[in-house]
Amino acid sequence: MWRLPPPFLSCMCSTAGRVVWGAPRRVPALLRPLPPGLTCVFASGKKDVTDFPVLDEDELEEQFVRGSGPGGQATNKTSNCVVLKHIPSGTVVKCHQTRSVDINRKRAREIMREKLDVVYKGELSEVLVKKKEAELRKQDKRRKANDNLERKRLFREALAADPKPGSGAV
Amino acid sequence: MWRMSLCAGYRSVGCRIVGIKGLWGSRVVRTCSTPAIPAGRITALQAVDLWTNHFVERGVMEPDHSSLHILAYLLGAKTINSLERGKLSEFLSPEKTEQMWRLCSRRLSRMPVQYVIEEWDFRDLTLKMRPPVFIPRPETEELVELVLTDVDMRPGTGAGVDAPHTCLEVGCGSGAIALSLLKSLPQLKVIALDQSQDAVDLTGENALRLGLQDRLQVYHLDVIKDAETVLSLCRHVSTLVSNPPYLFSEDMDTLEPEIFRFEDHAALDGGIDGLKVIKQILTLAPQILSNHGRVYLEVDPRHPPLIRRWVEANVEEMRYVETRHDVSGRPRFCILRKEKSNKDHKLDLD
Repeated sequence: MWRLPPPFLSCMCSTAGRVVWGAPRRVPALLRPLPPGLTCVFASGKKDVTDFPVLDEDELEEQFVRGSGPGGQATNKTSNCVVLKHIPSGTVVKCHQTRSVDINRKRAREIMREKLDVVYKGELSEVLVKKKEAELRKQDKRRKANDNLERKRLFREALAADPKPGSGAV
Repeated sequence: MWRMSLCAGYRSVGCRIVGIKGLWGSRVVRTCSTPAIPAGRITALQAVDLWTNHFVERGVMEPDHSSLHILAYLLGAKTINSLERGKLSEFLSPEKTEQMWRLCSRRLSRMPVQYVIEEWDFRDLTLKMRPPVFIPRPETEELVELVLTDVDMRPGTGAGVDAPHTCLEVGCGSGAIALSLLKSLPQLKVIALDQSQDAVDLTGENALRLGLQDRLQVYHLDVIKDAETVLSLCRHVSTLVSNPPYLFSEDMDTLEPEIFRFEDHAALDGGIDGLKVIKQILTLAPQILSNHGRVYLEVDPRHPPLIRRWVEANVEEMRYVETRHDVSGRPRFCILRKEKSNKDHKLDLD
């Protein structure tokens, strides 16, 4: 099932952050795009809650440069770029934002969730919705600013036509 | 004096300047010990290019990552990508250029980057690094994750509700594991041991820098030589965690120079089968742990079946729970649990 009701979703997220990654296994994709026509259920009224999809570790393939040797204490490398691939959709995320592999892996997953949201929800994805909302707010602001200017202009014109209000009819 | 052109596309090839005629005459040399600091100003990117090429020439591993990490550090950032876009094209000040040269020259001697810049990150912590104290490896970040995940699953294990629980770390090094656990578990107390005074000092320093010193005790003890003292200090511990020296002695000679020349061999060499310290930890574990207490070990990929067999034959009260793999898919972590037999329950108040 693609979408879970919001409370369950947030619970899943906190667990997902703590799962220890084993060697990924390949299983049939559990994530499916929503059937057309079915609208997504967003957490209503909460501006900051983002309903990005939950990741299934079984569908992810992770590449991290550790060399072909034994790794561990026998190796000291500073390259820590993480490459994460979502097998069903072919989406790839690269992350080398920090000097910690652990943090890069977690960030890669966050970015993957955002990307998958766009991939699967298209127009309805969180990123695009937010973009649209920002654009609408901008347009709204512009319109209000224009209205203001218009009002001021009319007021000035009225003053010019009648410089002494209350001095009697012109 | 080695002069450089300031055009953006300039690339150096060691001290053999390609394409510039007549500037050097008889002073062209095939290799130099260290490139001289340029007379004119250079940009950050040019400095990186120059040193990357020099590292390549001298066979220094990770030539590009090395220069980038050092430069980022000098410009006050953790990584290159966190720098503002234009920064790399800006000229370096004379001071920064001199620092770049000084630090990169240390890297030429194969000193690990972490020792060159004297710091590194472990999970969400930045730790001070100093030779010869062992540099934390990425696998060990997963060890901490394992412990934290388990703590969530186990009832009443320091997650806040019950009385504070104690964790023992054997071989704390720079303090990476101990301090990560302390940071994530506000109720936890940690006792950390290391046979190296340098490690004890560095762990203490890092604890102070992170404000975690109140719940941490660090002791200069060898778990083999000072076993009695260790046992007197540690009772009713709920978790024992360790990244003990686990390399096989025969593998020490093939270590890369970064490790062999600069890191404490005692933090790496686990004896003929790499199990010397591990076996001692597991021998002492039943007396250190409270019942159902757990041991988390990072080990060599060959160890898990050996450890399981050995424990079953030699340590009655420890049960082998499971083996976990690291992100490269190698068996890397062993989890064991203390299970006291019924007859002991009557004799001990534990």
